Amino acid sequence: MARRQILKRGVRLAAGALIALGLVASATAGPGRTHTVTIENMQFNPPELTVRRGDRIVWVNKDLFPHTVTATSKTFDSGSIAANASWRYVAAKRGDYAYVCTFHPTMKGKITVQ
Amino acid sequence: MKTPAICIAATLISLSAGAAWAQGAGPTDPQIAAIVVTANQVDIDAGKLAKSSSKTKSVREFAERMITDHTGVNKSATELVTKLHVTPEANPTSESLQKGGDENLAALKKLHGGAFDKAYIDHEVAYHEAVLKAVDTTLIPNAKNAELKALLVKVRPAFEAHLEHAKKIQATLSKSGA
Repeated sequence: MARRQILKRGVRLAAGALIALGLVASATAGPGRTHTVTIENMQFNPPELTVRRGDRIVWVNKDLFPHTVTATSKTFDSGSIAANASWRYVAAKRGDYAYVCTFHPTMKGKITVQ
Repeated sequence: MKTPAICIAATLISLSAGAAWAQGAGPTDPQIAAIVVTANQVDIDAGKLAKSSSKTKSVREFAERMITDHTGVNKSATELVTKLHVTPEANPTSESLQKGGDENLAALKKLHGGAFDKAYIDHEVAYHEAVLKAVDTTLIPNAKNAELKALLVKVRPAFEAHLEHAKKIQATLSKSGA
């Protein structure tokens, strides 16, 4: 009798722990992680960034004039991002994506989607 | 060919050497403000002419970038001097920059096709090299107000990127025999 109760409680605890674990897991690995890339001084910072599929990347333009975030493969293209504006992109497919500012060819960055 | 690029470069080199200033004294903040605004405006004006005159896509795109970027810089510079209650003060350097810019426009207006592209881009290379040198050796070291100094530091990378961009176009133009 007592043993069965202990077993029941154990099962409940284990189930609770699993649910809790699941919640934690969904909070960290679920969609919605946001990464920020700052565009400043004619550079993407960080220049290289690794994200998971479904993550969101926000580029914030802190320069005094517009820039673009354009994948050389054309997978994504922000168009003109005005000074003090930002652009967001949800990483949909795995792969390496080199990108540039089409306005300023010296500006280069890379996103790796895992 | 002696181009206005050489004149403007000479102006800025003399500025960076301190020749334009009284012995031991660099430009004041109001004078620096006038130099910054004039330097940007001169390049905006050249860009406008190139955007409407050049037949080459890369040159037109570069010209458009110069108009947009230098307009952005001047907007910030104007906002800052307004906030600081600094009135830009014309000085021999800002006047000579303006004169060099006017001469460049006059010379470019006489040119067409490949000759126009080459003269415009050559000038842009010389101009950005000279401005960078002046920013480093005269403007940043002499700026007294911290925010004015910070603005100069902030716009420096743009001048550098513009210079690289102009040099790239210069290389393709010379390859295509323009």
